[in-house]
Amino acid sequence: MLEQELKFYQDNLEAWLTSFPGKFVVVKGNELIGLFDTIDAALSAGARRFGLNSFLVRRVEQTPVEIRIPALTLGLISANP
Amino acid sequence: MPTLNIQYGGEQQAPDGSKTPVPPSAALMVRGPVIQVTLSVAQSIAEQLVQQGKTLPEPVSGLALIDTGASTTCIDDEAAKKLELPIINVVNMASATDASSSRNVYPVLIEIVGTPIKVNANGAIGANLSAQGLVVLIGRDVLLGFTLFYNGIMGQITLSL
Repeated sequence: MLEQELKFYQDNLEAWLTSFPGKFVVVKGNELIGLFDTIDAALSAGARRFGLNSFLVRRVEQTPVEIRIPALTLGLISANP
Repeated sequence: MPTLNIQYGGEQQAPDGSKTPVPPSAALMVRGPVIQVTLSVAQSIAEQLVQQGKTLPEPVSGLALIDTGASTTCIDDEAAKKLELPIINVVNMASATDASSSRNVYPVLIEIVGTPIKVNANGAIGANLSAQGLVVLIGRDVLLGFTLFYNGIMGQITLSL
């Protein structure tokens, strides 16, 4: 899911880091739909155009925020007691 | 300040079939701090759909586990599908069984039943939670705005926004 959008994001990340670091981008296919200061604004813009269809929303940043969910990563959420 | 107080408890069945009360402290210890929630499409998306005259998907109700160990909130993949939530990102996560697996990210609104508390989790990660009877793991991204008291001795939690 979102393979095309993720590739487009990666291909353009370096340029975007120079032009608008920290902004939220909305991407659909190989098109940059817009730049936004908040994720809420990005979601609104995406939904206005694509409704409940999927679209990529990502912050323009070199290193994504690390996600730590031990219950999932350690398999605890599905472990039998 | 909207506040939710929960006193945990329950009953257990003895070998002779009789039922005895479970001490609140044990009920909270075994089940964890679970709360009743209703999930729906994130507010910023719902507003756009309403403006366009579209019908919003039916909300999904269930149990949420407050997981202070999780940096990010997770939503059950099946619940996300029922809610027709759009996939807005994909993240890679290591797991005990795979080196890395891709997981979908969804924007969801969590309403805490019995309170006026509504909070958007705009980056909820999809996971299989239904086997545990859960629809959501509430992580620290949502707890950021809350005060949480965990009273293990009394078998109570208090959540305030």
